[in-house]
Amino acid sequence: MIGIILRRLAQLPVILLVIYTITLTLAWAIPGNPLENPEGRQPPPEVIEQMQRQYNLDSYPRFYWSYLESVTGVKYARDWLGGDIAQAAQSATDAGTAPPTRYIFDFGPSLEYDDWNVNEIIATSLPVSVALGSAAIVIALVIGLGAGIIGAVKPNSLADLATLTVALVGISLPTFVIGTVLLLVFSVLLGLFPVAEWGARGAVLPAFTLSLPFAAYIARLTRMSMMESFGADYIRTARAKGVSESRVILKHALKNAFLPVLSFLGPAAALAMTGSFIVERVFTVPGMGQHFVDGVQNKDLFLIMGVVLIFATMLILFNLAVDVLYRWVDPRIA
Amino acid sequence: MARVLTPLILLVALLAIAMVTDRPRPPADFAFANGSDINTLDPQRMSWMPDLRVGRLLHEGLVKHDVLSSTFDVVPAVAESWTVSNDGRTYTFTFRDDAKWSNGERVTPDDFRYSWRRAMLPDLASDYFAMFMFVEGAQAFYDQRAADIAAYAERPAEERTQESADALWAETVARFDATVGMKALDDRTLEITLAQRVPYFLDLCAFTVLAPVYPPLVEQYEKPDAASGRLLRRPGWTKPGVLVTNGAFMLADWRFKREVRLEANEHYWDRASLAIDSISIPSIPDPNSEVLAYQTGAVDWVSDVTAGYRGDMIADKLAFRAEHADRVAELEAQGLDPFEIDRLLPDDPRKNVHAPSAFGTYFWNFNCQERLPDGRDNPFHDARVRRAFAMVVDKKTIVDNVRRLGEKTAGVLIPPGSIGGYPNPTGLPNVGDAKTPAEAEKIVADARALLAQAGYPNPATDFPITVELVFNKDSGHDLIAQTIAKNWQQHLGVPVSLSQKELKVYRDDLKKKRFITSRAGWYGDYGDPTTFLDLSRTGDGNNDRGYSNPAYDALLERAASEPDPQRRLNILADAERLIMEEDVPMIPIFHYAHVMMFDPQKITGISAHPRMKQYASLVDVLGDGKGPDQPRTMHDGSRNTNPRSPVPTGELSSASETEGVP
Repeated sequence: MIGIILRRLAQLPVILLVIYTITLTLAWAIPGNPLENPEGRQPPPEVIEQMQRQYNLDSYPRFYWSYLESVTGVKYARDWLGGDIAQAAQSATDAGTAPPTRYIFDFGPSLEYDDWNVNEIIATSLPVSVALGSAAIVIALVIGLGAGIIGAVKPNSLADLATLTVALVGISLPTFVIGTVLLLVFSVLLGLFPVAEWGARGAVLPAFTLSLPFAAYIARLTRMSMMESFGADYIRTARAKGVSESRVILKHALKNAFLPVLSFLGPAAALAMTGSFIVERVFTVPGMGQHFVDGVQNKDLFLIMGVVLIFATMLILFNLAVDVLYRWVDPRIA
Repeated sequence: MARVLTPLILLVALLAIAMVTDRPRPPADFAFANGSDINTLDPQRMSWMPDLRVGRLLHEGLVKHDVLSSTFDVVPAVAESWTVSNDGRTYTFTFRDDAKWSNGERVTPDDFRYSWRRAMLPDLASDYFAMFMFVEGAQAFYDQRAADIAAYAERPAEERTQESADALWAETVARFDATVGMKALDDRTLEITLAQRVPYFLDLCAFTVLAPVYPPLVEQYEKPDAASGRLLRRPGWTKPGVLVTNGAFMLADWRFKREVRLEANEHYWDRASLAIDSISIPSIPDPNSEVLAYQTGAVDWVSDVTAGYRGDMIADKLAFRAEHADRVAELEAQGLDPFEIDRLLPDDPRKNVHAPSAFGTYFWNFNCQERLPDGRDNPFHDARVRRAFAMVVDKKTIVDNVRRLGEKTAGVLIPPGSIGGYPNPTGLPNVGDAKTPAEAEKIVADARALLAQAGYPNPATDFPITVELVFNKDSGHDLIAQTIAKNWQQHLGVPVSLSQKELKVYRDDLKKKRFITSRAGWYGDYGDPTTFLDLSRTGDGNNDRGYSNPAYDALLERAASEPDPQRRLNILADAERLIMEEDVPMIPIFHYAHVMMFDPQKITGISAHPRMKQYASLVDVLGDGKGPDQPRTMHDGSRNTNPRSPVPTGELSSASETEGVP
C-alpha cells in the first residue's frame, strides 16, 4: 500500500509539469494584453513595455522557465542562498516597517489586482471553497445514498419515482436557477439565512445548491449498483441464512454498491472544493471558482496558472485518496 | 459499514477544520456595498470610483471637501490653513501639529513631496499623473526622467548594473529637489508653486490621488531595477498590519474579494468627530445581490445600485413621493435636502432608494468635420443643421419612458447647480419641454426653418445623407437611439439608420471620428466648468466630434488668464452658451442620476451634492448610541449665492484667492 502511495506521489510532479505546459500554452494564446484595461484610462505604452519585461510577458520561453522556477521554489532557494532575502528583511527592519513577504512556492503577482499576489488570493479563497465543497459533498452523499437505497429497495414505487424525478431535476436544472429560487425563498422572504455573508449560516444554501447535481448523480449510481448487487449470489445467500433485510441492505449490498460512488467521489470532491463560479456568484461566496473565470477573462496569466495548478494538485491527491480508500474498503483490489 | 462511512467522516473532518480556521468577524458599526472589490489602496494609482470611495477614508490630503455643504467648500485637512500669492501661482500650506500617521508619526511636508514625486514619475504609471503636471517643473521632470530611462535602456548590458540604476535614481531625486516647485520651508510649511494659475487647484488638492503615502514603508517596495533603470513597483505594502495611513480610518483587514474592514484611526486629528468606530465593506460582485444584501440587512448602504430593475425601484419611490406630495412640497419649501425630506416622511421601504443627480451628462455627438469618413460633404458641418436636429429630440420622453431613473433633462452640458457661482446658460428650446402641442409645433417649425436656411427646404428628399446613429450595444443605448431616430424621422423627415457596435469597436470609431452621430457621456473630474468645456476645445484628446471654433477656444483662453474668479466663470458660461445655443457639437440629453440605497431614518451623513463624493467617515448610524446620533444634513456653504435654494447651488470652492481658513 505504501509503495503504491509513494509511486503515485512520485508521478505527481511529472503530471503537474505536463498540465503546466499545456495550460500555459493555451493561456498564452488567449488574445489581448493583460496589462491593458478593458476600458478607461490606459497606462502609457512605455510602461506597458516595461511591465511586460518585468514579468517576462514578452517571451514565452522566458516566462515558462522563470515561472517554473518561482513556483517550484528554486528561485526562493537561490535568493536565500544569495542573501537577498535576509538583506531585504534587514533594510525593512531598519526602516521600522514589516519586511516584504516572500513565498517559497511563489505563484507570482496578479496582473489584474494591483495590490495582490496569487498566493494571497489562493490563501484567502481556497479555505472557503474547501469548506463549501466538503459540505456540499457530505450533503450529496447523505441525499444521494438515501435516495439511491430507497429506489433500489422498492424499484418503481412512488418513493423511487419521486427520488428519480428529484435526481433528474437536480441534474438538469442549472444551479443559478435553483440557487436564485432558494435565495429568494429562504433568505429574502423567510429571512432564515443571511445574504452576502460567508459563515456557518451563510454556507447552508450555497452548499445545498452545490450538492444537488452531485447528489443526483450519486443517487443514480447507488440505485443502479444496488439493484445489480440484489441479484448477486451472495445476497441470496445472506437472505437464505435469514439475515435481516436492513442488514442485507446496509452491510452486504451497500458495501459493494458503494464502490462506484467512491470512485466518483475523488473528482467530485476536487471539483466541488475548487469552487463553482455560478454558486459563488449567486450567493456571494468568496471562493476560488470566480478566479478561474476572471483569470481567463482578464488574461491574468499568473492567476490562471495558480488556480489551475492548485486544482490539478487537488484532483490528483483526491484520486489518490480514493484509490487508497478503495483498496481498504474492497480488499479484492489489493 | 464502518469502512463505507470513512469518506464521509474524512469529509466532515475537513469541513470542521475549514470552518474553524475561518471564523466570522463581529459585525461592524456600518457596512456598505461597494461592488466587487477594490483594485488598489495605493492613492497615487487609484482611478476607479470604488477605490476612491475607500481610499478617501484611509488617506487624507492637504485639504478636503465639505461634501455636506451646498457649495462643496474646500476645508482644512492635513493643512490647517493656507495662503495664495497674488498671481495665484504659489500656495503656502501650514500643517496642523496633530496631523498624524496611523503609527503616531507626524505627517510632514516631505511626505507630500515624496508622494507627489512618485506620481510625477513615468515609472509608476499613475492614471492621474496629468493632475500633477500643474506643478512648476513637473512636466520637464517627467520628460527628463522618461528620456533618462530610454537612454539607460540603450546602454550596453554590462553597464546596466544595480549601482548605475541607483546612481540614476539619485540623480532623479536631486533633480526633483532642485527643479520642481515643491519646497518644505520647515517641518510644518509646504510651498507649492504652479506652472500657471490654476483656479481649481485647491479642489484638486482634495482629491485622494494627491494624498500622501508613508515614505519609510513605500521605499521598501520601490527599488531601481538594474536592467531597465526604472523603479520596480512591488505590491504588498497596502495590506493590513503593514499599511500606514493618515486618514480617519485605518485598514484593519482586507480579505480579497470578501471584505475590507476599517477601524477608526486613533491618531487621526479629528477622531472626536467620528460617529462610527468600524466599517465593513463586503465584496458583492453581483448587482442584484447588492440589493438583496441591503434588503436583508447585511449592508446599510448600497453606494451604487446597478441592478437591472432599479428603474422600477425609482418608479416606486416616485409613487411614494406622489402619495405625500403636500408634505414633500412643504419640506422642500423649508430648503431641506432630499434625504432629510425622506427621513421626515412616514416609514416605508420604498423611500430607501435615492437617485440624486450626479456630476455627469449623457449627450449625442455630431461629427462636425467638413467631410464625412467616406469623403462626402458633411451636412452636420453646418451649425444650423445641428441646431435643428438638437431641437427636435424629445428628451423628456427619453428620461420619463426610456431611462426611468427620475433624471433631469439636460439643456446644457454642465449639470446646473454642480459648480457654485457658475451662471449656467439655458440651452436651446426643445420639443420635449413644450407645454402645449402648439408650442411643440412651433419648435419643430423653427427647426425646419433652420434646415431650409441651410439649403434643405425639403429634407425628406434633399437631405444628402442617411443619418446614422452609432451606439454600443449595452445599457439600453439602443432604446435611446431608437427614440432619437424616430424624432428625427418624424419631425424633420430625414432618412435614419441605427448602427449598434461592440463597446471596443464603438470606442475606436469615436476616437477615429468614423461616425455621423453617436451616443456619448462625460463625468466631471474636478469642480470647475473646464472639466466639461475642454471637451470641445480644438484638438483636445477627448474632442471626438472634431468640433473647432476659434471663438470658443479664445473664450477658454481668456478665462484661463482672468484673475477674478466670478468674471472667469462668466466667461466660461459664455463659452458654454456658444456650444449649447449656437454651435451645438453635441446634444445634451439628460444629467445622470446616481442611484443608491439607505434608510434615511437610520443612516445620516450621506451627501446629496451632485459631485457625488461620499465620505463614509461622516456617517452617523442614528440610535446606535455612538456619536451625536443627530441627522447630519446638507448645510449652506461659505459663499452661497441663494440661501433659500434647496441643496446644491454649489460654489467654485477652489477659486478662493484669499486666506483659506474658514
